[in-house]
Amino acid sequence: MTCDEARALLVDARRGRLSDEARAALDAHVAGCPACAHEAAADALLDEALEHRLPQRGAPLALKRRLAASWAATGLPVPPPDAPGGAEDPARGRGARAGWGVRWRRALVPALAAAVVVLALVPVYDRQVGDGGAVMVTEAVNDHLRVLGAQHPLDIASGGIHQVKPWFEGRLDFAPVVRFEGDAEFPLRGGAVGYYLDRKAAVFVFNHRLHVVTLLVFRAEGLPWSRRGLTPVGPVQAHVTSARGFNTILWREGDLGYALVSDVDRAALLTLLGKLAASS
Amino acid sequence: MNAVYDLGMASERVDAAALGREALAYADTLYNLARHLTRSPVDAEDLVQETYARALSAAHQFTPGTNLKAWLFRILRNTFLSHHRHERHNPTVGGLDTVVAGAPGPESTYWLRGDLELDRLRKVVGEEIERALESLSEEARTVILLDLEGLTEGEVAQVVGCAVGTVKSRLARARAALREKLRDYAP
Repeated sequence: MTCDEARALLVDARRGRLSDEARAALDAHVAGCPACAHEAAADALLDEALEHRLPQRGAPLALKRRLAASWAATGLPVPPPDAPGGAEDPARGRGARAGWGVRWRRALVPALAAAVVVLALVPVYDRQVGDGGAVMVTEAVNDHLRVLGAQHPLDIASGGIHQVKPWFEGRLDFAPVVRFEGDAEFPLRGGAVGYYLDRKAAVFVFNHRLHVVTLLVFRAEGLPWSRRGLTPVGPVQAHVTSARGFNTILWREGDLGYALVSDVDRAALLTLLGKLAASS
Repeated sequence: MNAVYDLGMASERVDAAALGREALAYADTLYNLARHLTRSPVDAEDLVQETYARALSAAHQFTPGTNLKAWLFRILRNTFLSHHRHERHNPTVGGLDTVVAGAPGPESTYWLRGDLELDRLRKVVGEEIERALESLSEEARTVILLDLEGLTEGEVAQVVGCAVGTVKSRLARARAALREKLRDYAP
């Protein structure tokens, strides 16, 4: 097997499209060829990056509602069978116009029936999509645990918010908006650059008595924000919940998303949110 | 209970309610592809909406038992191309079926990348991957995203309208181009 032949099979191998014999030949070649081993590793890492880190964006709720409605509304005026400018097979390009009016009528009845079912299902479907908020809560708790478990969780120890915030310049592709400077109840310990799901995040660490409170700030676009059960706190609508014994609050302001996580009680966390929201 | 409708073709009986239900279930997937193709949330919404409108008008042409997702993808891509043909004449990266004379191939450059490339791929974040993907031509983005969606080479070939062998070579070139782009994002 040549290097060109081997590299042509790398994707097929990871997609499970090779026979046992071909897979064994490929593995044997890669094991003895450093260049192809590099290609195989890079290709696998590219897959991992695409599958786990490329942002996946769900359709907006308004679009889904319009889609459901369009199925009900489309085709109400039924053209005559021999009307000019008939429907095309959108998947096959132009042509296939003969008798389209007849087919249109035949499609209309089931389409309307489908629309009724679809309209009824939209709320259920939306609830399923809304569960993406659980992913955000889980990630926030994981990030908080990383802060708790790290030997040196802070890249910059606090000398005040005006020392911490400038430190992020050049380290993030956005400016984290946090104007609360910390106080005796919630002193600011410092900050660090972290990751939240598929993007970089500014990590601010506050204390509350002996407890640690993590505030993550990140770009909000493209994340599955929960739309239901939001709690109004000052000017923001917050998703307040708990997971694995930690209280979490997620909210967004403009282009930025925020996540607060701690084992302090919910009332204390809401107090901190009130200070952050009031000053932002 | 869903009705089963005879849409006029002897072997094609479509459970229209189930088809509509299943089609709507792909709204997120189609919108995600549309976002990557159009690079715009507004254009993506318009593209998905038009895709569903075209799918509805051609529901009778869908063959039960075949891949509805691939069928919807094909409609979406054809719709996109009909509105964005200018992009095909001015791609950021050349067409995938064109081999640039003198362009270095993996064989001649792999040793320059070494483990540095692997380190970069491990550390690259989602936004960087997205920017790199968006800098590729529509053909390249499409084959990468359809492969990512789990479509087989045969299904990708149906969506983009070419031979299976062409899909294989386009995908290889597209992935190589993406890796080259990601080299620009040093950690």
